[in-house]
Amino acid sequence: MNHAWRLPPLWVVLVAVVLIVCAEVGGASMVRFRIELTRWARGAMLAHPGVHGLVGVRDVDERVLDEALVKFDAALRLFHLHAEGMGLVILATTTVAATLARARRSREAIIALLTVGGAGYPLGYLLWSWLIPYHGIERGKAIAEWLIWIPFGGATIVALWWLAGLVVLRLVQR
Amino acid sequence: MRLPVLAALMLVVAPAPAFAHHVGTYTPQDNEITTNFKQVKFSVQAGKFDVALRLFEAGALRTQMRATAAALPPGLESGTRAALQAEDAPEVERRLMIFFAALARDLALEAGRQLADPRLTPEARAAAGPRFLEAIWRYYNLIDFAVALRDDKTSVAVRLAFDEAEGYAKKAAGPEGAGLRDSLRRIAQILTNLIDTSSTFARRDR
Repeated sequence: MNHAWRLPPLWVVLVAVVLIVCAEVGGASMVRFRIELTRWARGAMLAHPGVHGLVGVRDVDERVLDEALVKFDAALRLFHLHAEGMGLVILATTTVAATLARARRSREAIIALLTVGGAGYPLGYLLWSWLIPYHGIERGKAIAEWLIWIPFGGATIVALWWLAGLVVLRLVQR
Repeated sequence: MRLPVLAALMLVVAPAPAFAHHVGTYTPQDNEITTNFKQVKFSVQAGKFDVALRLFEAGALRTQMRATAAALPPGLESGTRAALQAEDAPEVERRLMIFFAALARDLALEAGRQLADPRLTPEARAAAGPRFLEAIWRYYNLIDFAVALRDDKTSVAVRLAFDEAEGYAKKAAGPEGAGLRDSLRRIAQILTNLIDTSSTFARRDR
């Protein structure tokens, strides 16, 4: 048995590295443009009072706006964290798949699912942060869930279970 | 046959955890008025009246007292300042209690007015009710101890009315939104009585 690790395809490595770059750029931009981003989000929320249930009373509305702004900020932070993390997850798991999955089709499928799922999932947070000012916290979350988190996160989880199964199979066959 | 079934099952079951994802948590924070109240209160409790006076003079409490002077008992702001200068802690507490009772009462009145608006959609009514109650409680909660010390019946009455309002708020989307408005009216009435009584005492004490 060959014990050497095999590299995943280069396009996978590129996707993972670009994702990590996006995470770093996103994190840095979040700090650099924090005031501008908050101002933009607040302005967009005030332009859509019905969406956020604003009632025109400062004591009530400030709390609503504050919560939405905290979630907006959290979504950007979570994009930064997940993009960094998923970039590394893609590199690690596709390397395992490239090394241990013998059948070409299943190997390619697992690698594709891990890469597409892993790269897409963090974008859900970016989408959510953009949706919050226009659609509110909950509706924005539902949209991001059905468009990105569930399909891409689901793809990653399916691929990981598949990979785990293959690793167990290899152990049994030893 | 087993393998495709297992694979299909996996495809259905495995992504289930994707429904759960981190979305952050939100902890409501003090606004500038409640922050300033706590600064002044803790300074007074520590006997640092000079600090309390400085915080009051430069803070949001005084600004808000001036901005809403028409809805407050006469001389509330100047009286609070005088009490701080005289290092009279109970009087400072009583005046701040009146101020926050007035803020909570005004919110209850405004909530009742807005919830009675027939143009309000059921969804908007369902969202607005709890938010108003939260804002009312944020202010009243700060003074409940002071209220209970002076008049425990009023404290209990406000709490009961508030509990009742919260119950109605859950079903405020329907035509029975009237129940919530009644509770809000009761809260406003109890707080108005508290303000009147406390202001009378304050004047008698002078």
